Amino acid sequence: MSDHEPQTAIRCAVVALNGGPSDPRIVRLAIDLARPSKSILVGVHVVEIDWTLPLDADVAGRSEDTQRVLDLAEQIADHARYRIEPVLLQARDVGAALVDEATERSADLLILGLPYRKRFGGDFAIGRTIPYVLKNAPCAVWVVRDPIPEEGP
Amino acid sequence: MFVLVVGGGKVGYYLAKELVEAGHEVVLLEKDRARADQIADEIGSIVLAHDGCEGKYLGEAGANRADIVAAVTGDDEDNLVICQMAKHHFDVPRTIARVNNPKNESLFKHLGVDEIISPTRMILGSIEQDIPVHELLHLGTLGGSDLELIEAPLQAGSPAIGRSPNDLTIPEGCALFAVVRAGRAMPLRADMTLAVGDKVIAIGRAECEAALHSQLMGETEAVGG
Repeated sequence: MSDHEPQTAIRCAVVALNGGPSDPRIVRLAIDLARPSKSILVGVHVVEIDWTLPLDADVAGRSEDTQRVLDLAEQIADHARYRIEPVLLQARDVGAALVDEATERSADLLILGLPYRKRFGGDFAIGRTIPYVLKNAPCAVWVVRDPIPEEGP
Repeated sequence: MFVLVVGGGKVGYYLAKELVEAGHEVVLLEKDRARADQIADEIGSIVLAHDGCEGKYLGEAGANRADIVAAVTGDDEDNLVICQMAKHHFDVPRTIARVNNPKNESLFKHLGVDEIISPTRMILGSIEQDIPVHELLHLGTLGGSDLELIEAPLQAGSPAIGRSPNDLTIPEGCALFAVVRAGRAMPLRADMTLAVGDKVIAIGRAECEAALHSQLMGETEAVGG
């Protein structure tokens, strides 16, 4: 490989699971990307804890919905005969937690799904997690936006 | 310890930063979004861009479980409202308010703010220590009480000169506990003779001041007399 060619092989990718419809898509894409180089895949689901509760309050562990998010990612990975390491985090801010996890694991890539949604008034809403991650993540960031839903009749 | 800081000016910013570095759990409320974003960029996602004068936002910031609420905005009225809400609506055990106008101090105390920090008073006290005065100097308030720490510089003509502390009639609720002499602090002893240049350190309520002044510095002269 010449010095000018981008390095595409990844060692570790963090896949952000938001519990929405984009999760299956980004898990499959992550597996396709990871398989050739047998990269480590870490599926991270962050439960945001507001300031009225201490950060170590037992919230995420008790939630079946939360467990379901990770179970779904593992099922998709099993089906594709690949392994994804499930990680459940509690944090004040999803973006900061994802960046911290990617930093701690020295990940090469952080993959996020972005649901296509509009705010009141009709403008596309990117939310606050993606801009935070794009601004602060130490590694490459891959944002997979959901397709624009077809207009009804 | 969980500290809720309201006001993201210079004081709030550095206070939050120091507390975070000391390992405390901190949330900072700053109503100006641009300023809030700027602080969040520097010290992390502990900043909420809301007006701390609104109970709803104090609640969102976790006032219900805060150990301390520090209201350090540049506006005395806002700081008072924040402390009042924290104390009476959220049962915060300790409230601290920045008071810019020293005239508001007694109001804050009267309305139950636990601790008052007055930068104006502090600077004034510092200046007064460097100029010859014939008044008692306020060094500060004892945390969580209405007791003042007072310094009485003894000058020629003071009725306390040449007498021992036992010879003085100290008002009830007030205590003399130390003397600073030639730059050295020493506990006040019964066999001690007070001298010119001594600084007597006392502690007591504001209402004791006149009697203390009379014993240590003489009667107050009428202004303009």
